[in-house]
Amino acid sequence: MSEEPRIGVYVCHCGLNIAATVDVKAVVEYAKSLPNVIISRDYVFMCSTPGQDLIRDDIKNYKLNRIVVAACSPSMHEPTFRATLESVNLNKYLLEMANIREHCSWVHSDKKVATEKAKDLVRMAVAKARLLEPLEEQEYVAQQSVLVLGGGVAGMRASLDLASWGFDVYLIEKSPTLGGRTALTGWLRHDRRGAEVVKAMIKEIARNGKIHVFTNSELIDLSGFPGNFAAKIKINPRYVNERCTLCGECELECPVEVLNEYEYGLNRRKAIYIPFRNSYPQFYVIDPRVCVKCGECVKACRYNAINLNEKEATLDLKVGAIIIATGYDPYRPVRGEYGYGLHENIVTLFQLERLLDPEGPTHGELIIGGKVPKSIAFILCVGSRGTTPNAKSYCSRMCCTSTLMNTIKIKERYPETDVFVFYKDITTYGNDESLYEEAGGKLVKFVKFEEVPVVDVGPEGLYIDVKEVTIQEDIRIPVDAVILSTGMVPRRDQSDMLSVTRASCSPDGFIREAHLKLRPVEAPSAGIYLAGAVAGPKNIIESIRMGSAAASKVATLLSQGKVKAEPLVARVNEERCSGCKVCVGVCPYRAISMIEVNGRSVAHVESALCMGCGTCSAACPSGAMQHLGFKDNQIVAQVVAVTGGGSV
Amino acid sequence: MFEPKIVVFACNWCTYAAVDLAGTSRISYPPNVRVIRVMCSGRVDPQFVLEAFKNGADGVIVAGCHPPVDCHYTNGNIKALRRFTLFRRLLNDLGIEQERFRLEWISASEADKWVKVVSEMVEDVRKLGPFKPKLGVKEV
Repeated sequence: MSEEPRIGVYVCHCGLNIAATVDVKAVVEYAKSLPNVIISRDYVFMCSTPGQDLIRDDIKNYKLNRIVVAACSPSMHEPTFRATLESVNLNKYLLEMANIREHCSWVHSDKKVATEKAKDLVRMAVAKARLLEPLEEQEYVAQQSVLVLGGGVAGMRASLDLASWGFDVYLIEKSPTLGGRTALTGWLRHDRRGAEVVKAMIKEIARNGKIHVFTNSELIDLSGFPGNFAAKIKINPRYVNERCTLCGECELECPVEVLNEYEYGLNRRKAIYIPFRNSYPQFYVIDPRVCVKCGECVKACRYNAINLNEKEATLDLKVGAIIIATGYDPYRPVRGEYGYGLHENIVTLFQLERLLDPEGPTHGELIIGGKVPKSIAFILCVGSRGTTPNAKSYCSRMCCTSTLMNTIKIKERYPETDVFVFYKDITTYGNDESLYEEAGGKLVKFVKFEEVPVVDVGPEGLYIDVKEVTIQEDIRIPVDAVILSTGMVPRRDQSDMLSVTRASCSPDGFIREAHLKLRPVEAPSAGIYLAGAVAGPKNIIESIRMGSAAASKVATLLSQGKVKAEPLVARVNEERCSGCKVCVGVCPYRAISMIEVNGRSVAHVESALCMGCGTCSAACPSGAMQHLGFKDNQIVAQVVAVTGGGSV
Repeated sequence: MFEPKIVVFACNWCTYAAVDLAGTSRISYPPNVRVIRVMCSGRVDPQFVLEAFKNGADGVIVAGCHPPVDCHYTNGNIKALRRFTLFRRLLNDLGIEQERFRLEWISASEADKWVKVVSEMVEDVRKLGPFKPKLGVKEV
């Protein structure tokens, strides 16, 4: 170290919060006896303006170059005192705090004991402060472009917002069409359908020059750091190009038929198909998983729009940030769960929505098992809230509301139909509460259960057997159809995306936010943001809001044109590094790579990627990897100071 | 009565915050602990633990976020778990009683667990008496 440490120690009274239990004057006097301490003072509120002025004046007058503040938790006022140092041009990382409030005065009532502990804490802080080094934040140019993964409502909203602020957006969708699950969602409140919401957003996107849409595409590699990611996109062949006029001749000739996943298996589609009306881009697409390459469609196409030999392509992008908005899958009951799969009149809520949709397989006619049912039972919490052994533990949030919306639609269209809702609890939270009242007004019958109802698939038809809670009686209701109100589960096909983006999952399999309350739209890795149901069950409105929120966080990161990186990162001493690569394996952020220096392979930390956990420092067998701000010698100095062994 | 000195390495996000919470909740606990803040339990090098014993600590706690997924740095806690599972096996060889070392998971909301861990540790170590290395841990 070039200059001798000149330390100022500032002991805060925090009113009586500290001073009532700690003999502040004694701590101040004690601090004066510690090596390199030039001055030591106390003040009633160190974080107040006069308190900070005291520190500022001393830094100038006594040429202090390290500051120890003995006060509250660093989580409270470290930023305050760092700013104090910065304001008089002392590097803000030359500050160390001793937590004599939360860790001492507030938990120990004996003044003598608390004072001794406070002295120890100050001694530890001074020991570390002597070894602190000035650190500089690093600045990088930020790319003015963003990668959005997932073309559902959350991803589309985020893209539109970002484009409106002037960012280039690459909207990557794995399936052949934009729209996501909302495109297949039936009636929403105020007589709108999911398809219409999606259509309106697609229209805006299609005419927006800033948004570059890639369907049938997926992210296959990602490197770099916030502001400067390099992304590799694989574009899978569609086999049909923009010459397609949607005439449909190809579809007629195609000999391959499979269950239509866009209608949740309610009807069948060909290997060459349009996912749904208003899907985007509006060309046919061939499903390579089932296409037999017979060439009938090529012969049928008068516009030369089909090329069965189309190859996949890759695209390299430079982007400043990534938004993950890849959504969810509907929960699919196992065979026999509430009779599912045992009778054609037992369908899921997702299937019902298609049946009630004018663009669905029955053009909006509620035809189940060949005819319009006269009585319908909805069962709530199917697959959610641990109702059955394989059910998820969480609430899927949107099923109650969606169920009631659909009961209202049924009652409006088919007023004679008996509609039952079997529920454990029912919550149409927020403004949707009016749906609950409306459904009740339309004489939808609510039946509360404790033990889940049994769907009896008998030879004469379907029965629901349930013990009703309020009357405490077993009842048996014959019904023509059963709707299982299923919720949301994490996408089955997201493991590749998770490994590429290094996003991590909560135990239930949804992607985890960096912090649910403090950083709710950020993934744990910097520069990667989350939107929509990929981060847990959400309704359409919430997903759209989260799309906007993620977009604004991205804009906050990139709008300055440059990004700053915290300097509390790992740094390699290349002379010492033996090239063993232990650090490369432990780094959770792939921030460490091996580089050649003077003919030797040594570790290199990409500072912007390093999040500063320090696990590489702990793992490095030669002490070459040092966690700045928490270097080995700084921590050991604290250890030595507290245990009192050796000289500090 | 013998008052043991316990050194705690606490991760910034979970355990350090739990100790803060014990403070803001004014829950008292034995004053024998001295907390050293690190960003992650994965930062704690077993050498630090040895340094603590070498310099006269009577007990050491390494504490972080609950595995598997609470870690602020994805899986630093798992790395700490691996390291200290191995390290614990060496304790006897080093002449350090098992009870003098604890690896604990204490989340930011678990002030009560922090208090329990500290109280137990102080009692356990008090029973053992001051740390007197039987082998070569103490530097000559």
